[in-house]
Amino acid sequence: MVETRTSDDASHGHDHAQCDGDHDHHDHDHADQGQGTSLGRGYGPFILVIPLLLALLIRNQFDALGNADFRLWSTLFVSVCIQALPFLVLGVVVSGLIAAFVSPELVERIVPKKSVFAVPTAGLAGLALPGCECGSVPIAGRLVGAGTPPAAALTFLLAAPAINPVVLVSTAVAFPGNYSLVGARFMASLATAILVGSWWARRNDETLLSSLTADEHSHVTNKFHTFVDVAAKDLLHAGGYLVVGALAAATLQLVIPRSVINSVADSEWKSILIFAALAVLLSICSEADAFVAAGLPQFSLSSRLVFLVVGPVIDLKLVAMHAGVFGRKFAMLFAPVTLCTAVACAVIVGRFML
Amino acid sequence: MNRVGRASVMLALGLVMARMLWTGSFGWFIQQRMQIPLLLATIVLLALGLYEGISGTREEHHKPDTVFKSTAPKVGWLMILPLLVLVSVAPTGLGAAAADRVEAFKPAEETELFPPIEESSDGPPEIRVLDFVNRAIWDESKSLQDRPMRLEGLVVNDADVPDGFLLTRFLVSCCAADGVPIQVAVRDVGQTFPNDTWVVADVVWREPDIPYTDLEDDVWNVDAELISITVDPDPPTDAYESPYE
Repeated sequence: MVETRTSDDASHGHDHAQCDGDHDHHDHDHADQGQGTSLGRGYGPFILVIPLLLALLIRNQFDALGNADFRLWSTLFVSVCIQALPFLVLGVVVSGLIAAFVSPELVERIVPKKSVFAVPTAGLAGLALPGCECGSVPIAGRLVGAGTPPAAALTFLLAAPAINPVVLVSTAVAFPGNYSLVGARFMASLATAILVGSWWARRNDETLLSSLTADEHSHVTNKFHTFVDVAAKDLLHAGGYLVVGALAAATLQLVIPRSVINSVADSEWKSILIFAALAVLLSICSEADAFVAAGLPQFSLSSRLVFLVVGPVIDLKLVAMHAGVFGRKFAMLFAPVTLCTAVACAVIVGRFML
Repeated sequence: MNRVGRASVMLALGLVMARMLWTGSFGWFIQQRMQIPLLLATIVLLALGLYEGISGTREEHHKPDTVFKSTAPKVGWLMILPLLVLVSVAPTGLGAAAADRVEAFKPAEETELFPPIEESSDGPPEIRVLDFVNRAIWDESKSLQDRPMRLEGLVVNDADVPDGFLLTRFLVSCCAADGVPIQVAVRDVGQTFPNDTWVVADVVWREPDIPYTDLEDDVWNVDAELISITVDPDPPTDAYESPYE
């Protein structure tokens, strides 16, 4: 976790002890602002209210804000964020429950010892989480924190957003009657998750992986309190990186000219590569990507399968979220490995099943 | 960020979402069927925010030594960025700028039979733009032939249609970022409307000389001749009516 709280927090705690006697409950925030000594405590409401008021003041004041492309960018950015919110909330509720109620002992009892069994089991467990990729990042982080072998947690991370029932049903709706595509998506995604999981089981480089640990809660006995605390923390943590990803995705959607897509429809290899790139750059939710792929009928089914397999496992916003939850070094290694595995699995499965 | 900071962000997010649900403006950004998940998420956000806010403030005052044990990385503050954009730019969904960027949707072959179009008591029957395009391209019984239809959509002016405009709705399956325009080229309009005007147009399908399926690429439009047009007095952009199809 990228946190800097050692010296900072100590000083806050100190400040707090000093202030506590001097001010009553309501004066706190104001007193802090006035003194300007203890940034980080009690400034929350202000850091929020002041920019919001400023934003309200500049509303409709500048021509630049009315620019059609900028308004479109805003629409895309906000809609990616809002669309992900329900899945993110579902994800952090589950991750909060894991932190509060799943002890390392329990994990040890449930998860098979050998990674040969643990990795495929974790992949199939992905069937049980109805959601998209944004929710599974904090869950995987907490699973590692609760003592799950990282290889199994990563397999779950990759499998859950691609093979859960909601995604499979929406794929079937987008491609009516084309059950072999639904099957191919399931097979290729599960294979990607298991292969990448096995790769990590072999490598298992602990120094690369920073995880969300539950140790900071050792002093708290109230499980409900732990649940809320972890859920809130993970929401803002993963949510912050989600916003970074949404910024990138909205910008790229505007920058990539459509003609690029149409010019490559004739070559199978080029269209496979372009679809892999699009899946990464556009960062479309795994519950919606099938509809996008269905809207591009000029491309072969197998190149569109690449889009459906790559999108849920790796894209811009996921790289940002992985870097936030598991560490930047890990994300830089994990992203290319996952991307190549996903493309290979999709191409091979596509050749046999489509 | 400490617990009070986290609570503020969650409450601000929750309140803005609650307002969007109340006014229906969430429909500009995501599909209508996402309403229930968004509502549940909003309730959870507000509940988490309230609990964090109350117990965080209380903790600060009663147990100074345990305070700030629980922090979240500063990146969490970024979550107010969408709120700032919402408040300052007040974006209002997809329009002509989006339609210019993405090729119009050409539906793949419809396997089902098209049901008969029901007559309407006041004027031509109103059908969805997607339905119109679908029937124009794939209906072998030619249910649109010589029959006026009422369409509701946005005006998108385009150089390919100098004598009219592209009547446009967006097909959105999850959020506005995956939106694809569906368009009917309305011909012989005789007046111009600014981009993004919501209009109600009575049109008759203009059958192509060569079937669409024999045309090259996807650069053609489904054409229609205008009978009458009015600026939409009640555009589907608020109060839970989705602007998208």
